[in-house]
Amino acid sequence: MSTRATRPRGALERQVLACLAIADHPLSVGEVLADLDGDLAYTTVMTTLTRLHSKGALVREQVGRAYTYAVAGDARAMGSSVTAQRMRRLLEAGDDRAGVLTRFVAGLRPEDEQLLTDVLAATEHTEHTEQR
Amino acid sequence: MSINALLLWPLITSAVLGLTGPRLGRALPPAVAVRLLTTAALISALATGFALAVAAFAVLARVPFVGALGHWSIAALDSGPRVPAVAGVLAGAAVTALIVAAAVRAVRGGRELVTAALICRDLDDAGGGLVVIVDEHPDAYALPGIRGRIVVSTAMLHALSSDERRVLLAHEAAHLARGHHLYLQVAELSAAANPLLRPVARAIAAAVEREADEIAAAEVGDRRLAARALARAGLARTSGPAHRRALVGALGGADRNVVARAHALLAPPPPHRRFLAASLTAMILVTSAVSLTTAKQTERRFEAAQAGYTRHA
Repeated sequence: MSTRATRPRGALERQVLACLAIADHPLSVGEVLADLDGDLAYTTVMTTLTRLHSKGALVREQVGRAYTYAVAGDARAMGSSVTAQRMRRLLEAGDDRAGVLTRFVAGLRPEDEQLLTDVLAATEHTEHTEQR
Repeated sequence: MSINALLLWPLITSAVLGLTGPRLGRALPPAVAVRLLTTAALISALATGFALAVAAFAVLARVPFVGALGHWSIAALDSGPRVPAVAGVLAGAAVTALIVAAAVRAVRGGRELVTAALICRDLDDAGGGLVVIVDEHPDAYALPGIRGRIVVSTAMLHALSSDERRVLLAHEAAHLARGHHLYLQVAELSAAANPLLRPVARAIAAAVEREADEIAAAEVGDRRLAARALARAGLARTSGPAHRRALVGALGGADRNVVARAHALLAPPPPHRRFLAASLTAMILVTSAVSLTTAKQTERRFEAAQAGYTRHA
């Protein structure tokens, strides 16, 4: 596509974390690179993984000559914690009006399902024609 | 200008703003809409409250007992243009109710901001402020704080492709970077203090989402990808666990409509609309000037009435 704008600080860390958070097994640098967008350098991803590991966000394991990375255990146990419940209450407080939390997708109406399917079809269709 | 015209002006601008706010919010570039509409809402709410208070006081001050307390001449106040007694009483009742509503809203908003900031502090900053929650319900939001967090559920991450996830993360990061929660709080407070501005608050909430969408689209360099991410996330939420589906009534979320946001991303980037922006700025400045003039005129009137009081005494 068009030129890629610069990534703000922290954006790559978030992408890497998001990728590892849903991976079902520890990933190598190459696997993370493959999951993220193609315009990244191998060393950039490696640096990010190393930094996240040194911050304690990731655990790593040596496999052969390289490392594989996974998110640190406690980050995944958040779902049922007290903090998560407090966040849910905050979200519910903001359901009738603008709250302090800004959701990526809120306020869906019943008829939106079909309209969003149309948007999806339109964007996926053009992507295929562009690739040809 | 007569005092009554000055006092009516904030009410008229609030009504006009309430009627045109949703249209303005869609027409202006989102970044401009967020800032100008929030400023306009705040100034209108303050000016309305002030005008109501002045109207109420102008009538109250003509009660002889109050005049004796304040050492001003009732006869001097009675000469020249007057606020009708009924209008003054109604204004007094309205301003009292609105101040209470605004105070309740301010406390509630403040408490929520503090709660959010405390939760942020409790969450480990693993990297870039992202917090992943293991949850079968697809959800993603920005949690404001001294260093805000982006909270995303695993179900939402699973629903999106890698490049769509990048859009989502950029969108939420934009909310935090631009301090959108503060604009939303000011908008809600203004609407509580002046219910005529309720549609403006909704327009600001919609513009905040649009601004974050535009920033995310610019960051990934692909508007279609941004639209696709929105559509995918929206569909994921409608197909989540039945008891927590994200459907709301037709009124509740109409202005924060995901479909409208996706369509806006499929269209070219919004034009500048300098004339519209200049008009709204002019309205904000005129309303501020009217409030200052009201204050000056009222002050002069009471000074004159106090000068008249010593003569009687």
